[in-house]
Amino acid sequence: MTEDMKRNIATIFENNKKWVSAKKEGDGAFFDKLAAGQTPDYLYIGCSDSRVPANEIMGLEAGEVFVHRNIANLVPNIDLNVMSVVNYAVRHLGVKHIIVCGHYNCGGVKAALTPTDLGLLNPWLRNIRDVYRLHEKELDAIQDETKRYNRLVELNVVESCRNVIKTAAVQQSYRQKQYPIVHGWVFDLQDGLLRDLHIDFEEMLKDVMKIYHLSDNEMHSETSGGA
Amino acid sequence: MNPGGLAMQFRGLARASQAVHPIAGLPRLAPVRHSLNTTFLPRVSAFSTTAPAYCANSQSPPTASETNNKSSLDSTDKYVAGLRHNKNWAAQTAREHPDLFPTLANGQQPQILWIGCSDSRCAETSMLGLLPGDVFVHRNIANILHPGDLSSGAVIEFAVKHLKVKHVVVCGHTSCGGVAAAMGSKQLGILDPWLLPLRQVRERNLAILESLPVDQAAEKLVELNVRESLNIVTQKSVVLEAIQERGLQVHGLIYDVASGVLRELDTTDSDEVIKKRLVAFKLEE
Repeated sequence: MTEDMKRNIATIFENNKKWVSAKKEGDGAFFDKLAAGQTPDYLYIGCSDSRVPANEIMGLEAGEVFVHRNIANLVPNIDLNVMSVVNYAVRHLGVKHIIVCGHYNCGGVKAALTPTDLGLLNPWLRNIRDVYRLHEKELDAIQDETKRYNRLVELNVVESCRNVIKTAAVQQSYRQKQYPIVHGWVFDLQDGLLRDLHIDFEEMLKDVMKIYHLSDNEMHSETSGGA
Repeated sequence: MNPGGLAMQFRGLARASQAVHPIAGLPRLAPVRHSLNTTFLPRVSAFSTTAPAYCANSQSPPTASETNNKSSLDSTDKYVAGLRHNKNWAAQTAREHPDLFPTLANGQQPQILWIGCSDSRCAETSMLGLLPGDVFVHRNIANILHPGDLSSGAVIEFAVKHLKVKHVVVCGHTSCGGVAAAMGSKQLGILDPWLLPLRQVRERNLAILESLPVDQAAEKLVELNVRESLNIVTQKSVVLEAIQERGLQVHGLIYDVASGVLRELDTTDSDEVIKKRLVAFKLEE
């Protein structure tokens, strides 16, 4: 390992100590409370992109938001990884809000619009091409390339929200407890600001129920439940 | 190929001098945070490493209209607060680092790929004291890596091959709910197949785990799980290639939620282990 790399890692451990001290200074019992367990109100599903750190952009402390991050904030219907996260957050932690957060300048979304064979990444990114296909007319009508790409980022968030709402966990919990509510956001790297896409959760839920209704059978509720 | 040299590169860093021990004893009662009465009891989770958080609280649950209608959310609501904090954070970050956002808009060059748990207490960028643009992140339930999982597979491929990160970190943490679940035997639906690798690790180490007191056994499984995920990371040819060709480092960390401190595991492999790994997993174009 080069000296440079050793320094980088050493800096991180130093930073970690500074962060611990700062937290304790603000609240002497900060870590004692965290040691007692987590009761986050939010599940955040966002992109792995290093420029979009969940806690920082939301100004939330450790312990306040349960986080799943993958390439391009996708919620594929058969991805066991994200489905386990949704299931756990809703059925076991009882989160009040689920946020799907995309961001402009998303490399994953850009890659999905590029005619290149990216090997292992192809099947994952194909979900974004499917989003394009679902909204082909709207996207094709946008002349400006950047605007079209930004709109695809937004629509990708909308479709991920829809996939979250298709789950039995969300449908059952909402029927029994009136939460969680699903929100779609986009983060703008240029100014660091979040934009709420104002997803109409109730309307979207009503819309998907015709085909994706999974909340009738109480047998499958809670601990035995599926996604 | 120089197995000795590679061993150097596989070798983890010296232990942090102020490493901490995992918390001992049982965790305390969770703080009451939600306004829930008994009509709205969340079921006691098999994941819970603590008592449930719905104890004595006289306030009534949020009504549908309260939770559903954003305009009725008051200023103490964390969702409203989060969006408000974001404005302050963006302004403050831009003041302290005027070049950061304009630079970030042009691309990312993170040095670290972080594979950690979704647990809300494990906020990686905060605990590392780093900035936006520094850490590429995948977080899932119990920082488990399934060999065939496309989600984590795509993350590792993109981070190592395209972003060329210098470090891959797998970080587990004390009081992990996923680990607690895998130490038990309750059916959990879709979570069962997800937690399967944890149970495989449990099976392989059953004798040692059963020889320990319950809380220590859970912390031991946390560590074994990090090692297993590192194992999966270094079974990927793209990772082996980066280790050999440009000195990519892989690290195993444990985050102690009771103190906020990170501890580095010694993940040094013998030359023989590394040699076998390369023979079995390194692929040529």
